[in-house]
Amino acid sequence: MSAMFSQNPLMNGPNYSFNQAPSTAAAGNKEHGFYPYTDNGGSTLAISGSDFTIVAGDTRSTSGYNINTRYSPKVFKIGGTTSSQDDATLVLSVVGFAADGEALKERLDAIVKMYRYQHGKPMSVKACAQRLSTILYGKRFFPYYVTAILGGLDEEGNGAVYSYDPVGSYEREQCRAAGAAASLIMPFLDNQVNYKNQYIPGSGVGHALVEREKIPLGRTEVEDVVKDAFDSAVERHIEVGDGLQMFVITKSGIEEKYLPLKRD
Amino acid sequence: MPGFDFSNHTRNAALHARGVPLPKATSTGTTIVGCIFDGGVVIAADTRATSGPIVADKNCEKLHYIAPQIWCAGAGTAADTEFTTALISSQLELHSLSTGRKPRVVTCMTMLKQHLFRHQGHIGAYLVVAGVDPTGVGLFTVHAHGSTDKLPYVTMGSGSLAAMSVFETQWKATMTEQEAVTLASNAIQAGIFNDLGSGSNVDVAIITKDKTTLKRGYVKPNERSKKQKSYVFKRGTTAVLNEKIITKEEISKYVTVHELEGGETAVGEKMDIDA
Amino acid sequence: MDTLVARYSQPMFEKDYTEDQLDMYQPAPSLSLRFAMPPVAQPSAWLRAATDDHANPNCPIKIAHGTTTLAFRFQGGIIVATDSRATAGNWIASQTVKKVIEINNCLLGTMAGGAADCQYWLAYLGMQCRLHELRHKRRISVAAASKILANLVYSYKGMGLSMGTMCAGVTKEEGPALYYIDSDGTRLAGNLFCVGSGQTFAYGVLDAEYSYDLSEEAALELGRRSILAATHRDAYSGGFINLYHVKEDGWVKHGFNDTNPIFWKTKLESGEFSNVTSELV
Repeated sequence: MSAMFSQNPLMNGPNYSFNQAPSTAAAGNKEHGFYPYTDNGGSTLAISGSDFTIVAGDTRSTSGYNINTRYSPKVFKIGGTTSSQDDATLVLSVVGFAADGEALKERLDAIVKMYRYQHGKPMSVKACAQRLSTILYGKRFFPYYVTAILGGLDEEGNGAVYSYDPVGSYEREQCRAAGAAASLIMPFLDNQVNYKNQYIPGSGVGHALVEREKIPLGRTEVEDVVKDAFDSAVERHIEVGDGLQMFVITKSGIEEKYLPLKRD
Repeated sequence: MPGFDFSNHTRNAALHARGVPLPKATSTGTTIVGCIFDGGVVIAADTRATSGPIVADKNCEKLHYIAPQIWCAGAGTAADTEFTTALISSQLELHSLSTGRKPRVVTCMTMLKQHLFRHQGHIGAYLVVAGVDPTGVGLFTVHAHGSTDKLPYVTMGSGSLAAMSVFETQWKATMTEQEAVTLASNAIQAGIFNDLGSGSNVDVAIITKDKTTLKRGYVKPNERSKKQKSYVFKRGTTAVLNEKIITKEEISKYVTVHELEGGETAVGEKMDIDA
Repeated sequence: MDTLVARYSQPMFEKDYTEDQLDMYQPAPSLSLRFAMPPVAQPSAWLRAATDDHANPNCPIKIAHGTTTLAFRFQGGIIVATDSRATAGNWIASQTVKKVIEINNCLLGTMAGGAADCQYWLAYLGMQCRLHELRHKRRISVAAASKILANLVYSYKGMGLSMGTMCAGVTKEEGPALYYIDSDGTRLAGNLFCVGSGQTFAYGVLDAEYSYDLSEEAALELGRRSILAATHRDAYSGGFINLYHVKEDGWVKHGFNDTNPIFWKTKLESGEFSNVTSELV
């Protein structure tokens, strides 16, 4: 009998023109007693330049309307020889569920350290990026609830940023924002880093108008863009704030910067 | 027919059951407090309004006028606090006119609770009512379902626990006006910094037998820092598909056009904008 | 059913070592397929509740979806074309995704559905194809390669994989060959396929203009034009047009071009898309 009628309430009786409407919990989702994830908020951001990469993240950790701590780093150095990570060349940022992020960081760090031990050389960003993808996909059926971004310098010494989805699909990009305020920061980056929707004034009429030339930004400019992006995100997103941690990766090593953000 | 229009209620309930999400009301996550002192009462509020995790208004007003000597701090659904206080304010004014007496805080509180109880919590207004009337100082809280409290110091909203912790450690039975204002302001700041639903500035209203003082932006602990870069675009940066010039004669069919004197610049309604 | 699937899928992973231990001893991932599973009776149902944004728009993990991809055979080989947009719910996660995956220098795979699923399993397929070459001293046929993938996804049926992929390649034995494989286990050989949320729009143009005897230039243009039509009408497709031509001696890339200038060029020079107007009323 039940087979005669579609289980989907949208298909029975008179319908609305927008019957493609997404179904929420009311549409018969099963209750599950297993909730292994919480969202700890926060945002991360990475931009690559011609000879450097900057990876940044705010340091607030939240749950609901509460602040767990005002200093919980989301950006980590990966694969140094010691626990101090002084000679690391890679930086990983993780945002989403902090416990999964921590586990992922520890796992990747161990692997990159083992690589250095076995091969007698540091791992390249390209190799590390591929490996991180397989780690994430290894939990395809029980995902790490994180959005990861990996930063470093490629074999030519150019800045490299790799961004991931929670199950390991990845892509090398110029810049990427992730986390709670990604939707606030990413459009700003598209416009200010990749000069999207910017044309050269007076360069032509109508469709002959020439797009603004894509010149990679310098280091100080990128630092300014990152600071402004986070200051603005703090203004409009309640889960972002407290502190801004920035890692600048150059061929001479990784520099760490910490700037205060608004705490309200 | 006064009151609410329920004609779409059944339809909306049906749509909701079929998975159409409810429209998101702007909610003032909020910390609001009230505290009595010798000779008066002070109420205070933060100024953040949120819509989910997004800050909808960085400097909204949560202290509402009811009568010259009765003010109300509102938490919950922004529209509900706004309209409920305005409605009661109106009724109280008429009541005051017909009785020829000054409005009382208890009267206001009773009208609010009866109104809210009638609507069974569907009006999401959580209020702190405070004022001074011929019977003395009054301070109450009113919940959306209609329950009320009468206490010497009160807090409400998502930041109420943070704010209450300040009152519970620092409140004294006898305080001067300045002590009470500082205490209320500190309680709000506890909410601003420790509750994500509250933020920006502290607004304070001080009510005594003689006068009411509204101090908008009493403390501003969260001024935006200066931008590192300038983001001014050169004119012509945006691609334009087509242009159409509308003349003054054409536009004057729809709006009134005022000629400006030489050198004069038009000023519309003033608005707060970031630098 | 879910419990059945779960039971018969269990032996797929070894439980002798913890993940961390294996990582330590094998810095490179092993070829055996081990996946961490949520500790619940029905992993697939749990996964769907956590990740399927179509069934549950409020799901905590949003996996990248949405696509238009197409491939068709013609006298000069195979044209493969895709858009480049990745969406997670209503959010455009990326406009620069490479949806044509280069398995080796004469085999291409396309990506529709879960981005990670396609990336991972097509890379895995690349490994299997290379192993086949080493073992048998000759290149794998497209039929065999596509069957490896089809069998693989079939073994995970019901577990929540989401992929709609096409394998295009040329071998001496088969000539140009094109296969469609999806995560249900379907595997079809054919001349012409469009896959993804924008498939109907791409079919509309492709079916109308397609002929096996198309010239190389015309075929490339048809591929481009079909993707353009899909990016125009499907909100979940867009970004750049990625074009490939598979020939006897391997594939050739024909650019990764922004749709916006291509759209206006098509409209203004060929007079198409007359529904779009910039006139002011």
